[in-house]
Amino acid sequence: MKDKRRIRVLLAKLGLDGHDRGVIVVGMALRDAGMEVIYTGRHQTPEQIVESALQEYVDIVGLSSLADAHRTLAPKVVKLLRGKGASIPVILGGFIQPEDTPALKEEGIDEIFGIGTKLEDIISFIRGKAAEKKSETL
Amino acid sequence: MNKNNELAKLRDVFEKWEKEHSEEFSHERKRQFSSGDEIPIKRVYTPLELEEKGFDYLKDLGFPGEYPYTRGISPTMYRGQLWGISHYSGYPTPELSNQLWKRQIAGGGNLAYIAYDLATQLGYDPDHPKAEGEVGRVGVSMSSLRDWEIAFDGIDISKITISQVLNGPAIIGIASHLALAQQRGIDFKELKGVCQNEILKEYYARGNYIFPPEPALRLTTDALYYCGKYVPNYQAIQVSSYHPAERGANPIHEAAFALADAFAHIQSATDRGMDVDTIAPTIQFLTGHQHVGFFQEIAKLRAMRKIYARVLKERFRAQNPESMKARWYSAIMGTSLHREQYLNNIGRITLSALAGALAGCQVIDSRAYDEAFGIPTDEAIMQSIRCQHVVAQETGVTDTVDPLAGSYFVEWLTSEYEERIDKEVKIIDEMGGMVKAIERGYVQRVAAGDAYKWQRKFESGEIVRVGVNYLPSEVEERPPRIYRADPKVEAERIAAIKELKRNRDNQTVKTTLERVTEVARMEPTPANNLMLPVLEAVNSYATVGEICSALREVWGEYVEPLIL
Repeated sequence: MKDKRRIRVLLAKLGLDGHDRGVIVVGMALRDAGMEVIYTGRHQTPEQIVESALQEYVDIVGLSSLADAHRTLAPKVVKLLRGKGASIPVILGGFIQPEDTPALKEEGIDEIFGIGTKLEDIISFIRGKAAEKKSETL
Repeated sequence: MNKNNELAKLRDVFEKWEKEHSEEFSHERKRQFSSGDEIPIKRVYTPLELEEKGFDYLKDLGFPGEYPYTRGISPTMYRGQLWGISHYSGYPTPELSNQLWKRQIAGGGNLAYIAYDLATQLGYDPDHPKAEGEVGRVGVSMSSLRDWEIAFDGIDISKITISQVLNGPAIIGIASHLALAQQRGIDFKELKGVCQNEILKEYYARGNYIFPPEPALRLTTDALYYCGKYVPNYQAIQVSSYHPAERGANPIHEAAFALADAFAHIQSATDRGMDVDTIAPTIQFLTGHQHVGFFQEIAKLRAMRKIYARVLKERFRAQNPESMKARWYSAIMGTSLHREQYLNNIGRITLSALAGALAGCQVIDSRAYDEAFGIPTDEAIMQSIRCQHVVAQETGVTDTVDPLAGSYFVEWLTSEYEERIDKEVKIIDEMGGMVKAIERGYVQRVAAGDAYKWQRKFESGEIVRVGVNYLPSEVEERPPRIYRADPKVEAERIAAIKELKRNRDNQTVKTTLERVTEVARMEPTPANNLMLPVLEAVNSYATVGEICSALREVWGEYVEPLIL
């Protein structure tokens, strides 16, 4: 039982959107589920988010956006991460138009948690991703 | 003596009634009924509960238009004038918004309620790197007086009220409105306008701040003072309880935060030597209300009116009755509307409009049935405005003032809210006021705690929403059309800014911007009011981004304390 490291999650507000109710509630739930949550705060550029993700050795990056800029900015986060050789999965939550899902997934967003998502769904998805990563490294 | 006898008799009859029906009471749907903020709600209310509260008609209610304004701020209310009907809206460009607002005015709206895009709200022009992906997405991109000329072309701004959702750069928005009025020869004394200009709630609820609180408050109060002196019909601030509520704060916290915000603004102004009776009449509240907790929402707004009047009179020593009146520009809460079975939202909107009317709102701001799908479509906006006309024209609730007054339940609940909100305001006062409470992260943590609790209750089914977690449909229902902003607008807007910069007198722009920076560096006395240099800059066609940069140079930017 040497790997007792808790799952580390970076939560970030992407772009200029200020709505943080959702991301904070998600952060509280992840923490209650035993994960370590690093929150960047608001108004983060893709570059800033990538820098935080790499600095904090997180297992997953959770982006929050409710103001549509994710159509442009979320894929940019993925691209920048991959450019730095990081395979960290990226998930997106907030106000996401369902018809944007296929394009966002194609551009490397692992999962989208829009309006109506249950906290439990996010928790189990992150656990699943972390387990996948662990089995890959074994 | 007589009254005591009557109450004793009532108590006897009540106890007898309780005993007789104890069997039926044991089969009620729930063991405990309570409001969203966990105020226990009793089976029935009688004069006994009002007696417990020490309820006194003249002291607690009085008459409409008179202190403490519980029954409303005007003696005639809707018998004199119906509430204003507004709908928050803005399409990506000044040109598109111009057409939108013209349609709304033709459809019986009497307000243009500007929703700006985030780049403008954060003081960035479309060509700034941070504006990438944001231009025109959630509202109109308006960067200069040129954009105002386009957006209000053919609209008589002396007849309608322009209301702006602008906070960080609010003073620039107000200055632009004033500059357009000057161009058209409209007397400032006749001009009607509203600007949100309420920065404190941005720090803990809405997130669209630019500068640190102290200089930001200076901008706010400079606008208040200027308008208080020269533009008397301008509501230069909307103190918001709407955003804390949307951020998750329960009704008690939401109300307390807004009141504490208002008191912080007034304190900041009076500390700078401004007269309370000059600035207070320019204050308006942006309250929020919804169909959920229908009576609670009405009681909350009545209680807030009463507390505000008392504090203005007793703490701030206001003399002018206009200073003590809390004016409600009340917005139906977007979070009360849902995607699932979206047509149910029409019922929710109508009930909310009714709650607003029963609470004595001066303006009701609608949300549309497709709110949960994105920026509302034209047809949904018009439908929503019509929900308000139905309440105003068909129900008859407008025929008498404050029709719920005297309801044992509503009066008890109003007193209960007054006590609970007072307690919360006191907690903030003891921390040293709202700015301190925000800096410590207190307000943010309380709102986050409420939001988390709500989410858990909703997911467990304790909070019920029809069509969402109660009787859901098997097939997803979607409106025939959903509005999407065209990402191509960004390039158009960048081109428009470039053209503006080619065609204006850039030397004058430079001089006026330097003057903005210079005054921002000066002591914040009433004489060094930033409205004057900002107005000059706006008149020289300086952009929102440029003016904000001139101020950033002096004040820097705000960095939020992280509560997670």
